[in-house]
Amino acid sequence: MKIPSLLATVTSVMLAGGAFASDDPIRIGVPVGLSGANSVVAPSVVQSAELAVEQINAAGGVLGRPMELVIADDASGAAGAQKAFDSLVFQKEVDVLISMETSAARNAGLPIVSRGQVPYIYTSFYEGRSCNPYLFVNAWVPEQQVPPIVDYLNAEGAKKYFLIGSDYSFGRGMLEFARSYVESTGGEIVGEEYLPMDGSDWTAIISKLKASGAEALITSTAGGAPNVTLTKQMRGAGVDLPYANLAVDEGTAKNMGADAAGILISASYVTGIDSAENKAFLDAMKAKFGDDLRTPNDLSVPQYEAVYLYKAAIEKAGCTDARAVLDALDEVSFTGPRGTIQMSKQHHAPLTMYLGQVQDDGSVKVVGTFKDVDPGEQCPKL
Amino acid sequence: MSDVLAASPPRSAKVRRRAAFLGVLALCALALVVFGPMFLDRFSINVLTRSMIYAILAITVDLLWGFAGILTFGQAAFFGVGAYATAMLLTHVGSSPTLIGVALVLAILVPVMLGLIVGWLSFYYGSTPIYATVISLVFPIVVTQLIYSGGTLTGSSSGLVGYFGLPLGLEGFFRLSGICLVIVAVGALVFVRSDGGRILTAIRDNETRCAYLGLNTQRIKILLTTVLAGVAGLAGFLYANASGVVAPENTGFVFGTELVVWTALGGRGTVLGPVLGTIGIDYLSASLSGELPFLWQLVIGALFVVMIIVLPNGLAALVTRLTRRGRRHAPASAGPELVAEAPVHHKKKIEGPLLSIDRLEKSYGSQKVLEDITLDVAPGELVSLVGPNGAGKTTMMRCLTDGKETSGGVIRIAGQNIAGLVPNQIVALGVGRKFQVASVFESLTVAECLRMARAALDAPSFVTASDRLGLPSAAIEILQLTGLDRLLSTEVSLLSHGQKQSLELAMVVALEPRMILLDEPTAGLTKAERTTIGTILKKLTNELGFAAILVEHDLDFVRDISSRIVVLHQGRLVLDGSVDEVVNSEIVRTIYSGGDHV
Amino acid sequence: MTLLLDIVTTAAILFIVSAGLLAIFGVLEIVNFAHGAWLTVGAYCAVVAGGLGLNPWLALPMAFVTGAVLGGVTERLIVRPLYARPLDAILATWGLGIVIGQLITLWFGRDVHFTENLLSGTIHVLGTSYSLYRIFALAAAVVIGLGFAFLLEGTRLGLSARAIIMNESLARALGLDTTRIRLVTFMIGTGLTALAGVLLTPLTSVDPTMGVAWLIGSFMLVMVAGSSFGALAVACLVFGGAQVLVSTFISPILGGITVAVLSALVLRISSKGFARV
Repeated sequence: MKIPSLLATVTSVMLAGGAFASDDPIRIGVPVGLSGANSVVAPSVVQSAELAVEQINAAGGVLGRPMELVIADDASGAAGAQKAFDSLVFQKEVDVLISMETSAARNAGLPIVSRGQVPYIYTSFYEGRSCNPYLFVNAWVPEQQVPPIVDYLNAEGAKKYFLIGSDYSFGRGMLEFARSYVESTGGEIVGEEYLPMDGSDWTAIISKLKASGAEALITSTAGGAPNVTLTKQMRGAGVDLPYANLAVDEGTAKNMGADAAGILISASYVTGIDSAENKAFLDAMKAKFGDDLRTPNDLSVPQYEAVYLYKAAIEKAGCTDARAVLDALDEVSFTGPRGTIQMSKQHHAPLTMYLGQVQDDGSVKVVGTFKDVDPGEQCPKL
Repeated sequence: MSDVLAASPPRSAKVRRRAAFLGVLALCALALVVFGPMFLDRFSINVLTRSMIYAILAITVDLLWGFAGILTFGQAAFFGVGAYATAMLLTHVGSSPTLIGVALVLAILVPVMLGLIVGWLSFYYGSTPIYATVISLVFPIVVTQLIYSGGTLTGSSSGLVGYFGLPLGLEGFFRLSGICLVIVAVGALVFVRSDGGRILTAIRDNETRCAYLGLNTQRIKILLTTVLAGVAGLAGFLYANASGVVAPENTGFVFGTELVVWTALGGRGTVLGPVLGTIGIDYLSASLSGELPFLWQLVIGALFVVMIIVLPNGLAALVTRLTRRGRRHAPASAGPELVAEAPVHHKKKIEGPLLSIDRLEKSYGSQKVLEDITLDVAPGELVSLVGPNGAGKTTMMRCLTDGKETSGGVIRIAGQNIAGLVPNQIVALGVGRKFQVASVFESLTVAECLRMARAALDAPSFVTASDRLGLPSAAIEILQLTGLDRLLSTEVSLLSHGQKQSLELAMVVALEPRMILLDEPTAGLTKAERTTIGTILKKLTNELGFAAILVEHDLDFVRDISSRIVVLHQGRLVLDGSVDEVVNSEIVRTIYSGGDHV
Repeated sequence: MTLLLDIVTTAAILFIVSAGLLAIFGVLEIVNFAHGAWLTVGAYCAVVAGGLGLNPWLALPMAFVTGAVLGGVTERLIVRPLYARPLDAILATWGLGIVIGQLITLWFGRDVHFTENLLSGTIHVLGTSYSLYRIFALAAAVVIGLGFAFLLEGTRLGLSARAIIMNESLARALGLDTTRIRLVTFMIGTGLTALAGVLLTPLTSVDPTMGVAWLIGSFMLVMVAGSSFGALAVACLVFGGAQVLVSTFISPILGGITVAVLSALVLRISSKGFARV
């Protein structure tokens, strides 16, 4: 094959060319959903990446070189992601991709990442089992998020569970795991229903839920609108079961007001984590962004930490060469707001998970902490 | 057997020049896509590869919407189905040269079959343009929903990724997509300029007229939808291979609307406009992604609205309008050579009357518009239908050409009962209908209009534009009498009212009908034009044995040319006799003097 | 029992959402594809009202006025040149929908907004506890339906509008100011749609794309209903009912496309849809 070898030459020349000029910045590509479904959280993700880069550069950069962010809009979908990845990998020639994205966008980007041979750190929680030699993940998968919730509900005495999700990979993936976990711990699933992602009429599902005799409810809808419509309509119909939501973030829960009270959430990050690293991080964010600050969350904090993990990998490898950085990425660790993170398990990371409950005033109270939850068998071949 | 009637300078030189121009253009484009990768950076290669695939889709949208007037949002779904057929096969069955071949076949075949279904759903006798649009909207929604609920089979919202397609590399896919685009574009350009391709424009201009020229427009539209679904599927195959990923949004109606937006901005009905529009906008949006995502969409949206209102045919049309303005002063080229053809149609003699109406009835709800009409018409007769406004004359004409109109009674044409037949089937029995308001094709030339009239008898080429136009000698005579033979390459919209009427008559005669129905053919014509039409009608019936039924208000005209007059009043046939009998009858005088009581 | 309530209230919500579209399509024979955007505009009126600390019910008149005024501008600038080109009108209004969506995004941001509930809690009806707001929606639908019946049958404007539906050129010949009637009809349609947007807020999130989800469904219902509010009510009951039944007994995923698919089939069988009802 003539063309791939040519590509490889071009890429290595490009990377080597970067290594010689020491004041040449290390470029971090951030394809992110500035428009489309993810545009609600995207600004917070960009902010935390900006903070990380600013802090690193203020401390002298990496290997004597500054870091630089290159942001591109993936429109939260496959078509937009292709453009964004093409632009970042082949036009802006970034050294690494670090980003929170939808699964469709990630999948669309992977062939381009493989072609361009660029390391890619994915910082969004997802349904799991996305495996690629260039891909590392530092956020949670179902195996880490679901057990704390089910264990808690079990302890509260719930035996009959009802599952509601949006009909997409994440919704189905999470609830599939939830079903097997509930059943393995002695519970029973009395209903499992999905609505299309853009659907907004939950009437029939809610009526089924009310008739099912369920003792607890687990939902995994698409973030944003479906989450809100479901919760509003359920509260309107008078549903007040113990209610765990796998897809609501702290900020949205806070905005939902009274409707959100009592919802259980499970996350690797909540603002209330009581550690020096988290306090320092929150203070730095507040200082840098002031009134424009977007509340840091479970999607933006992994982005912050991923930049530091990449820095550590370069330092260990001694260069930004893709091969060497990839080899180093699962060996380095970083202690940040979520604790110590190392992507040591098949390109995924064991994480400390927090179980929170939304209070009447919208704040999230931590009701349980689960240390270093293992991601399980995600990519046995890597 | 044919002989040249009108000597006109041959057009073949111009045709050849145009073909040569197209050839050179195609070669340049091919050179561009083959050598392009040597000068382009990898980013541009990647983005342009996709843009070119989208441009293939835009061409299909343009053929449907710009040429045939069918506004569709569904091409995205055919594209998506082609892409998913490829990706699903390569993911779940495996990847080998044979399987890639199978994928290619499936990627075309499955959309073709769906296209047939969608076409059948969208186009039936009496369907409205908006209904076709509705179906084109529902179809991608259903396909997307199926993909979402397909689980691991379709990859749901994440799509499918990580399969192995054609081993071509970046440059290879760029060249392949480029070559496919050039082939599709050239094919489309050749097709729309061919005699057969003009049918699409004719349908857009005036579908009713097409049906009354004996063309089965529904079938043509179904066929077009089906073929273009296959082309979209091919584009889907290319996309699935070149991008290495398929996702639900590739099939959705939002993508379908985007294709329409690109086509509109590039210029509908120009083939090249949509290609350039698509590549330009898609490339720009890739370069600008990250900066101003919302503003970008805002600008595109606003531009689109302005374009639709102010410049419905896009930028490309503005350019052609400007160039054409310069050309208009130049003498119009002669157009094709007129050739008299021996009749090919209805050679068989029929027994009994040509038209036989037996107790025809038509009612709207409880209101009877026609009642108990019984009438026979033989070849060679020129029957005038007279009566005051609201007597049911036009309704009766409609009943004679549309088997679904009647509420009771039997109409036989050439011995066959027409109940349930649609206009194009009735036309095939040998009926030609001329409407009250000249019904022609405004954006075609005179010659093209006449060719449409022959399309049902003599299938036109889908590749070439012929420089001969074969017509029955009666039609040629009409053209010569009215001077239209010197205006063959003139666009119909530039003709006078009377010229349009004459053209329509010539088109109807070109159908080689046995019977002509004319609804007020002289309305709004000058005295001279009226005389000409009268002469023609007499000749058609007396010498050539046509039957003619004429609805007419001008009693002098009726008296001059008719062989028989039928009087309708309040939906009933009150008198049927020779000219003298009718003109001198008491009843007619009463009716026309305003007395309502018979 | 719950099923029956689900069917009736779903139909009521569909009716509220599509009434504005029908008013425009019925009289002007123009499909307002910016319909989703007007719903969104209405919902954001509720957000603004909440931001100003007003009583949430005040958002209703506020949305109606905003919708009507913006609708008037739209009719004048965008729709009026396109009455003779209905397919182009679909496209132009779709483009307008994009523009409105992006303007809202630029102004309010992408985030999901929250509004104070108009009514919360449940009520005991027919032996089950049921969402109070959905019962209220049923009443609202009836009020809107009756309001239109009155407007069409009992006012001069309605009479003129009906004249236009039947025979536009005759109406003009009789001295009716058709231009003005079109403008007023369009304004009523968009105003009503914005009002429906406010009525949706207790059921949905408020974000810039919220309207799109309702567009196709209401578009299909209106196609089936033609120009008659009675037919629209029937269509909402039949298809809304089918949607609830399919969602309940087969799958909510199929339920989501029930209205669109059934409407398309009904139109295929009878191009007049339910208009003769």
